[in-house]
Amino acid sequence: MTMGHRLRLGAGSAALRVQRWRAERRYDRRAPDPGSPLNPPLRSTIRMREMMSRHYLAGRSVSGSRPVAWVTSGAPTEILKALGYHLVYPENHAALCGARRRAEALSSAAEDAGYSRDLCSYARTDLGSLLSGDTPVGSLPPPDLLLCCTNICQTVLYWYRVLADHFGCPLVLVDTPFLYGDAAEPHQVDFVRRQLEDMVPAAEAAAGREFSLDGFTAVVARAKQASDLWLEILERARHRPSPLTAFDSFVNLGPIVDLRGDQATVAFYESLLAELDERIARGVGAVKDERLRVLWDNLPIWYRIGPLSRWLAERGVNVVASTYTHAWGELAEMMDPAEPFEAMARVYLHPILNRSTGHKLAAMRRMVEEFSIDGVILHSDRSCKPYSLGQIDQRDRLVADVGVPALLLEADHNDPRSYAEEQATTRLEAFVEMMS
Amino acid sequence: MTVTHRPSRSEAIARAEARGQRIAAVLPYHYPRALLRAHGFHPVEVWGPPGVPRDEGGRHFQAYTCDIVVRATSFLLRGGLERAGVLLVPHTCDALQGMGSVAGDFLQPSQHVLTLYLPRAGRPTDREYLVAELRRLSDRLAGIAGGRPTDAGWADALAAEEAADETLAALYRDREALAVGDREFYEVVRSREYLAAEEFVEAAAAVPRGTAPSGIGLLLSGIVPEPMSLFDHLAEAGARVVADDLAAGARRLYPPSDAADPIERLADRLLGSPPDPTRGTPIAARAAALAGRMAAAGAKGMLIYDVAFCEPELFDVPLLRRHLGDAGYPVAHVEVELGGELGHRVITRIEAFVETLA
Ligand code: SF4
Ligand code: SF4
Repeated sequence: MTMGHRLRLGAGSAALRVQRWRAERRYDRRAPDPGSPLNPPLRSTIRMREMMSRHYLAGRSVSGSRPVAWVTSGAPTEILKALGYHLVYPENHAALCGARRRAEALSSAAEDAGYSRDLCSYARTDLGSLLSGDTPVGSLPPPDLLLCCTNICQTVLYWYRVLADHFGCPLVLVDTPFLYGDAAEPHQVDFVRRQLEDMVPAAEAAAGREFSLDGFTAVVARAKQASDLWLEILERARHRPSPLTAFDSFVNLGPIVDLRGDQATVAFYESLLAELDERIARGVGAVKDERLRVLWDNLPIWYRIGPLSRWLAERGVNVVASTYTHAWGELAEMMDPAEPFEAMARVYLHPILNRSTGHKLAAMRRMVEEFSIDGVILHSDRSCKPYSLGQIDQRDRLVADVGVPALLLEADHNDPRSYAEEQATTRLEAFVEMMS
Repeated sequence: MTVTHRPSRSEAIARAEARGQRIAAVLPYHYPRALLRAHGFHPVEVWGPPGVPRDEGGRHFQAYTCDIVVRATSFLLRGGLERAGVLLVPHTCDALQGMGSVAGDFLQPSQHVLTLYLPRAGRPTDREYLVAELRRLSDRLAGIAGGRPTDAGWADALAAEEAADETLAALYRDREALAVGDREFYEVVRSREYLAAEEFVEAAAAVPRGTAPSGIGLLLSGIVPEPMSLFDHLAEAGARVVADDLAAGARRLYPPSDAADPIERLADRLLGSPPDPTRGTPIAARAAALAGRMAAAGAKGMLIYDVAFCEPELFDVPLLRRHLGDAGYPVAHVEVELGGELGHRVITRIEAFVETLA
């Protein structure tokens, strides 16, 4: 890193810190809003925003000083972390574009280049950003390595093949056979473990650095700590009233996905957990008048998070849990720093998206019970087929066997053109009525 | 000129049953045929079917799911597969992942639902995994069939299926010396989807030799050429398919293997399949292979003929267009739904494309 880069990074970092202090001061001084159906948002979110901004800021000047890898959201990044890689998550970047209402324009740029509107809107958003050079984070550092893990979908492999072609850098594939049965079979675990081991020399070569098993073990230990904390945070929503909404967890997901393995992430989630406990002690819920509790399935609708959360809260509805956010916590118990390759092979085979539709239904049934759920919203996400296919049967079973109202809500996680506001509102109204 | 009579799908099924084989309905598109045969199963492939409405399948899969999955589900629920004892759903893509999972977990048909995860690369570790995965499938089939294949059973299955695969490869190699139009050619190629290996060899032998009809050479890429009247429209426009990159066609020209162990042999052959987006081939390598195939066959351009909502195909389109364009081959892309006849817009696009190549 040149001196100029270092100075710019230092100045940017200091500016972000000052921004956070100001935001926290404003937060502490703000007068209660009696008209809002929601209590003030979590104060820790301010810190999370600073962390994520700092990460994107670091990316702007990282080229040449640290190796850079672009990785999928379910990828085994601990090996790369141990090698000092700066990680870029195109899906997180796309979600950020979605939350800032930039996804439609970026998707259109990709569509103009020939990418079909039927493709995943994360991929379209990101490819559009790549082709147009437009991003709300200033710029993304080009990758020295691409790491693609198929444990969330096959889509990422098609997408990363496009990225590999664009950047001309190595693409490391960690292929994780889909688990149709109850758990991974030995040959599946062996396959993934061997790929993780084989990944080391490829990552070393692209980084020009040597891998250290101790470093890897330490990263795994911190990733486990953070994942354990994340799960604890989500489980706090079992309290009535729940101190957080699933929308809060969507928003605070960034560090566990992007910065897993960092000490700062552990510290952040410790403070978030403490804030929730403090809310619980004071009897403060995220929704002022929580009467109905809902489970959310699938990705969030990034461009509607705020309005949807408010609309539901106005009707006394708190979306307390989601299958999506649990994905980054529920595997913590499988992480074992003593046997990192074998354990990580198991971990990366078992995310909910790599498991059967029956397993997902079982997970939802369990969550209905554990979180005292009154109804389930299954976001039928037009451009995420792996998460969405199976939802029709899952909804039918939830209604028939579990006896909870369940709504299939048609939308798209990032592309607002696939969201019909009026139709969605009518369906949500009927759903709330059914729960009441 | 047309070829002589081939057994129909139902005749082929009846003949297989008469031989004492059980029927395995198989979804697209890479799978080890000889493994099924060795265990006493006759594979019959299900590519939709295109004529079956989406209605029943649409009660389980959203509107943004491709026709192959939705129509195959309809067919299953309507009893169209009732002669099959096994439903094999290879994990080709996210959509077939959904179908395999929903069928096993929720639809629970009378057939045994079996799945097969093919690795997405060709590294030594992929081979090891695939061998283990095929052994797992073999165990499942043995459990259903009530016994394992004998050595002689394996030898018969491998010999017959490899002979049929070689016949398929020869059909492609000898395309210019076959006196049939594209529609007839692909009807024979696609009869491999339901005929027994020996029947397919016979059907191929019956294709008249001579000179292939002339026309502007095209490479046809995509999943499946449905409706088959596509070939009539191409012929009317003055084009001829001189090579293909179809999942239902040349993507299944498996190379030979000299492995002695039957399952390792099958794994080698599956892993050696031609470049293919569902198998993770880098796009530039795929484009280079396609350009080579076009040069060898004298194709002037490529028509990508996709089933709507088919992600594996759609992702590659812009870069294939660019790479092949750089190599001097124009590319046109159309998307179709499987039911019914080709729409006017698609036909006009195809005609306009062929005109630009003339
Ligand atoms: S298809 Fe779904 S799981 Fe895959 S990248 Fe897109 S949103 Fe993520
Ligand atoms: S048409 Fe495409 S999406 Fe559908 S089953 Fe075939 S490969 Fe999968």
